[in-house]
Amino acid sequence: MSKKLLEIQNLKSSIEHTEILKGINLSINQGEIHVIMGPNGAGKSTLANVLMSHPKHEITEGNILFEGESINGFSADEKAKIGVFLSFQYPEEVAGITVENFLRAAKSAVTGEPVKFLPFKKALREQMKLLKIDETYGSRYLNVGFSGGEKKKNEILQMAVLEPKLAVLDETDSGLDVDAIKVVAEGVNTLANENNAILIITHHKKLLDYIKPNYVHVLLDGKIVKTSDGSLADEIESKGYEWLSNQGGV
Amino acid sequence: MKDILAEINEAPTIQTNRLPVITWRWLKVNEFQLDDFTMEKVLPYNKGCFTAVPSGNIDVKAMAENIHYLEAENYFKNKGNIGVSDTFVKMVDTFYNTGAFIHVKDKIQDPVIISYKPDESNPMIMDKNFIVAEENSEVTVIIDYTSIDNTSALHNGLTKIYAKDGATINLIKLQDLNDTSINLDSNIAYIGENAKANYVSIEVGSDKSVVSYISNLEEEASESNLDSIYLVNGSRTLDMNYIMSHIGKKTLSRINAYGALMGKAKKTFKGTLDFKKGSTLSKASEEEYTILLDKTVKSQAIPLLLCQEDDVEGLHAASAGKIDEDQLFYIMSRGFSEKEAKKLIVESYFTPIIDKIPLSSMREEIQNIMNQRLMDV
Ligand SMILES: Nc1ncnc2c1ncn2[C@@H]1O[C@H](COP(=O)(O)OP(=O)(O)OP(=O)(O)O)[C@@H](O)[C@H]1O
Ligand SMILES: [Mg+2]
Repeated sequence: MSKKLLEIQNLKSSIEHTEILKGINLSINQGEIHVIMGPNGAGKSTLANVLMSHPKHEITEGNILFEGESINGFSADEKAKIGVFLSFQYPEEVAGITVENFLRAAKSAVTGEPVKFLPFKKALREQMKLLKIDETYGSRYLNVGFSGGEKKKNEILQMAVLEPKLAVLDETDSGLDVDAIKVVAEGVNTLANENNAILIITHHKKLLDYIKPNYVHVLLDGKIVKTSDGSLADEIESKGYEWLSNQGGV
Repeated sequence: MKDILAEINEAPTIQTNRLPVITWRWLKVNEFQLDDFTMEKVLPYNKGCFTAVPSGNIDVKAMAENIHYLEAENYFKNKGNIGVSDTFVKMVDTFYNTGAFIHVKDKIQDPVIISYKPDESNPMIMDKNFIVAEENSEVTVIIDYTSIDNTSALHNGLTKIYAKDGATINLIKLQDLNDTSINLDSNIAYIGENAKANYVSIEVGSDKSVVSYISNLEEEASESNLDSIYLVNGSRTLDMNYIMSHIGKKTLSRINAYGALMGKAKKTFKGTLDFKKGSTLSKASEEEYTILLDKTVKSQAIPLLLCQEDDVEGLHAASAGKIDEDQLFYIMSRGFSEKEAKKLIVESYFTPIIDKIPLSSMREEIQNIMNQRLMDV
């Protein structure tokens, strides 16, 4: 029996007094890969942001347990330090710090230990090679002037460097060309092991050609309305979401 | 000298940094009032100022009475108001205690580096600097005003730059005097035909800092660029008065000012784009953006557009805002504390300008200073 990593219990959240998450229940064990699908505006990014403690989102009810302990009150950096990672749907640009310096500082921040310059540089180069990111991007300012796809790849690079216990990927495959999707999938598969877990938010079945999820969930209007195996993604591809809206919770 | 001192000591308050056109009376920004300012005499500054002097066809000397360049002197003499206030400008122009004369005749690669570092035995800097660039020559001058102890220093400076046709003068100034010092800095430029003045100003120090830059785009296609970054923390005050005066045809100017305010800092930015008669087909733009790190800061921006000519283009924008929440969240999600993340964001605003400094040691120095001043973010 693998250990429970994340448990979300009846989670409700609101932003500027509008309720978005309306009672999410989700349980993720170590070693598992979960996929969340759902129409635009269903609350997928909201769930990801709440998990990472975006200050605009407020938890109004429910609990988020990580390795058995409530992390409701944690700030984003505290979440990062216990091993939660979010690959952003829209990564931010930060001029003034290079990808390499940012990641070295981030690695040191999440591990609480100093990171040696040269070994880090070498390890980063390896990771960049795997993700087919040109070396020169290491000395460019974080995401500044990166194309949409380059930003997404850079998110996966950050994930690979920070080695989280739980990685949440919010539409990391959107805006990627076919080759890049494959590269990202390989990055995810390289990270995945029996001690961590991955939660993938996506609109496209393509990614699932390379990544085999244990569960696929459908999020509709702030609730998970159906959970099944990988075949659910095929069903959604052919039938859309309409048919699920009258099913209620599962 | 007595007259000047009397003028200063008898006035209960001294008006500095006047707007070229008096408006906005209700905002009290037409000038900066220097209250309770007195001084007995000009104390000597007994230190050298040249940190690096490049080789080549360039003449670099300490300012002295026998140094003349009449063409430029006559030009500036006839220019009227050329700095923070007539009195202060007259004071340094006549009774300077240090300064540099730089006369460049060719394209010079390496920068001239000048450092004014006040200390207990040299608490006053009255620097008169004069940079003359002959036709088609080019030079970069870096001037660093930094306190090295906690002496309350007075800086009253005057820098004149004279770029003849086709010349380029790059002037970079760093002001990091300590929090009990007063900084009064007047800068004025003449820009000839197809000549260029690029001024980068980094303002991070002094209890009260009053800076002025008047750039005269005198001939056809003269160009003037000003990049200004500032960080005001504690209970310090910064007043900036920048004027781009378009006189020649097809002249081009740009002001970009970015800053951050924290604690009880006060800042006024005055940026005037002045299209004089005859400056047809000229273009000017200015942009100012201030990050307000605390609710207790006071920030004012007065972008002013004066037009005596129709066929010109002037754009101005000034805004102020808090740190972008999404950007903060993004950085924090990678393990950085809120404080570290805010620092990173503020630094990121300054980086494009700091990157224009051709000296890595100075870029690092600025980064360190910023880091320290951002300590209580
Ligand atoms: N600041 C806000 N104020 C009010 N409503 C908001 C705010 N931010 C987001 N919402 C709403 O929350 C809902 C969920 O948005 P969310 O971004 O989580 O959707 P999503 O499932 O990720 O959609 P997509 O597939 O388009 O990325 C949307 O209806 C959105 O309009
Ligand atoms: Mg989304």
